Amino acid sequence: MAAGDFYFAINATFRFFLKNYGEEALHNYWRSMGREYFAPLSTRFKEGGLTEVEKYWKEFFREEPGGKVNITRSENRVDIEVEKCPALSWLREHERDEVDCFCQHCHFVSTEIATNAEMDFKLEGGGGSCHQVFFQREGSR
Amino acid sequence: MIGVQDFCGHYEWTFKHIEETLGKEALEKYWAEAIAFDSQSHAHQLISEKGFDGMEEYWGHTLTMEEAGYKITRTADAFRIDMHQCPSKGFLLEHDLEAHSDYCAHCMGWIGPVAKKSGFTIDHEHNHLGKCWWTLYKDGKKPNQGVLLRKVGDANIEKDPEWPNGQHHSYEDCKIKD
Repeated sequence: MAAGDFYFAINATFRFFLKNYGEEALHNYWRSMGREYFAPLSTRFKEGGLTEVEKYWKEFFREEPGGKVNITRSENRVDIEVEKCPALSWLREHERDEVDCFCQHCHFVSTEIATNAEMDFKLEGGGGSCHQVFFQREGSR
Repeated sequence: MIGVQDFCGHYEWTFKHIEETLGKEALEKYWAEAIAFDSQSHAHQLISEKGFDGMEEYWGHTLTMEEAGYKITRTADAFRIDMHQCPSKGFLLEHDLEAHSDYCAHCMGWIGPVAKKSGFTIDHEHNHLGKCWWTLYKDGKKPNQGVLLRKVGDANIEKDPEWPNGQHHSYEDCKIKD
């Protein structure tokens, strides 16, 4: 299991951008990370399709400490039902002041990852529980 | 979601992003403010309140959690870490990640300000290959090196045959030496 205290740094990084450079700089950070750092993941999703999407997120949430997440794959989508977000749970259990827009990073980063894999991404909810979906575009595979 | 399992990967990429989009000063500010006193506020609290005991509590917990290969040595006037296998730099080497040219600088970037604010200072050297040593001591009071190094003994990273490899950066009193 990975070291949960790193969530403190992720949260502090978001606050650093927001406080010193504003919302657009933070959004740009998230988009850039999705596009650049996660480029190999987009390639993996593009080449392996929803099977790889499902595999990645199942392995991912197995390693993150303290979350409760259910992942299912159907014909054209992978649904990620986050009952208990590991990051927000860790921050709250350790009484850290989370940035208000913490949840938005999933939207920005995963939208970029999905777009570059010729997929679509949708997120509903937030604040510790949410529903995320990766869609295979029609005719893309 | 950005996870903690590959934290060192996106953390290191973040250094590059900040330096390229906001400048080198912004990156130093990021380490000295956001990491030092927001992310690692628990380290600052322990060190400022408990001194060497707080250092042992903080690094004992953190480095064990990260499964580091390290040795802590304490004397009356110094707290030393000999890092034989840095898990953070090790992750980057293992995954061939090097978005930023000087990842190791982040440690002094945040630990330095925490130490200084708590009345301590640091001498340090790293080789960019996951090996380094740190000596923390009361600001202005150089510790007795002979006593310290005798107690460190064979755990002294400078005795490691692989220590001379890599590019070395040395710091004295938290400042990089030319």
